[in-house]
Amino acid sequence: MSSFSLPIATDRLQLRPFERGDVEAVAAYHTLPAAQRYALRQSRYSSDVADVVGAMRNQVSLQRPGDTLSLAMVRKGDNQLIGQVCLIWSDATSGQGEVRFMLHPAYSGQGYLTEALRTIFNLAFDEFRIHRLTVRCDGRSHHSIKLMQTLGMRLEAHYREHALFQGEWDEELHFAILDREWRPSTKVVDFRRRSATPDLPRAAI
Amino acid sequence: MAIRPDYPLTTERLRLRPFTRGDVDAVHSYRSRPDVARYLFDAPLSREDCALAVQQRTTQLHLDQEGDRIILAVESQADGVLLGEISLIWRSSEARQGEVGWIFHPAYQGKGFASEAARRLIHLAFENGEFHRLYARCDAGNVASWRLMERLGMRREAHFREHAVFKGEWDEEFYYAILLREWQARQAG
Ligand SMILES: CC(C)(COP(=O)(O)OP(=O)(O)OC[C@H]1O[C@@H](n2cnc3c(N)ncnc32)[C@H](O)[C@@H]1OP(=O)(O)O)[C@@H](O)C(=O)NCCC(=O)NCCS
Repeated sequence: MSSFSLPIATDRLQLRPFERGDVEAVAAYHTLPAAQRYALRQSRYSSDVADVVGAMRNQVSLQRPGDTLSLAMVRKGDNQLIGQVCLIWSDATSGQGEVRFMLHPAYSGQGYLTEALRTIFNLAFDEFRIHRLTVRCDGRSHHSIKLMQTLGMRLEAHYREHALFQGEWDEELHFAILDREWRPSTKVVDFRRRSATPDLPRAAI
Repeated sequence: MAIRPDYPLTTERLRLRPFTRGDVDAVHSYRSRPDVARYLFDAPLSREDCALAVQQRTTQLHLDQEGDRIILAVESQADGVLLGEISLIWRSSEARQGEVGWIFHPAYQGKGFASEAARRLIHLAFENGEFHRLYARCDAGNVASWRLMERLGMRREAHFREHAVFKGEWDEEFYYAILLREWQARQAG
């Protein structure tokens, strides 16, 4: 879909594909209960983490809808792996993408995620021509909520008790940002007015 | 859980009853209209489409497992005229989630029939504590539908913008929801 190259350097980080040797560093944050919530694969036990890393090692580009790009956040000075960012290309026609992230709590509060996510947003909108990016988070995760606001995302949904998570009623927030909101100069894809379009094949009622 | 009501369900002015084969023309009279289909997933339906839909609905009367749906004809008690249809879908059994929906003939809109029928259906879903949360969705431009949701005491939970392409245009969608305890508080109040 594009010709971007990895790793990507930010001020203080390298965003690079996962490697076999990352299992221990990933286990340090991936097995925490809070991390399980939006994990693409569950890993309650550290033995599952090798599978998680194995899968992420192959997630190095977005070729078709459904693909995920998974990058390790590695600190430049000491090569410490502190977390991960993933970009999922969920739909091609309407250009939808989702971003998920995890950070080892020991490294929170230092702006690393803001830095990594800005880079991922640029990549999504500039390289992959994503139209709208979403992030989901726990309604009680104040860190994430603040982070989304810093990035200029809009709160689109606040679901209350819509599902059970680890035996408790869940509260979930959806944040979104459109390409033209991230880059105010971006041209809007021009879909025709509804009345001018032929009928689509019908979905089930 | 299971919901197997004794039909018809009645309200002051209405009967909510199973569809029968004789309803095809009445259903076609509103489901064939572009103004009715404007915000529906379906395009306007042909008479054959309606015959098929009515056929399916004659068995969509109980909720025995996740994914089941109840779709009922709403008729006027006074003259037996079919006014529209109303649905309750069991979306999640673990979290006891359901979705409600409604479609009425334009000639019978603006008279509070949809509200009256929806209230009865929500009552059915909540009366024995079967559901924990009910939600409804609609296009942000479908003012009649989201005003109905607000009249029913539902809260706007989501406002999605350009999250999909619908009938060739960027879609904008609302989600509304009501929890069992919110409904109970309204009943009490
Ligand atoms: C959505 C839909 C069912 C709403 O129908 P509706 O008739 O507007 O809904 P109600 O039964 O609640 O009627 C309310 C209106 O009737 C008026 N009314 C008149 N008599 C009334 C009475 N006795 N009680 C209550 N309201 C009454 C209300 O004031 C209100 O009018 P207002 O909106 O101008 O204030 C209808 O527009 C429809 O079928 N649309 C096409 C299909 C569709 O889009 N379905 C939803 C897909 S998400």
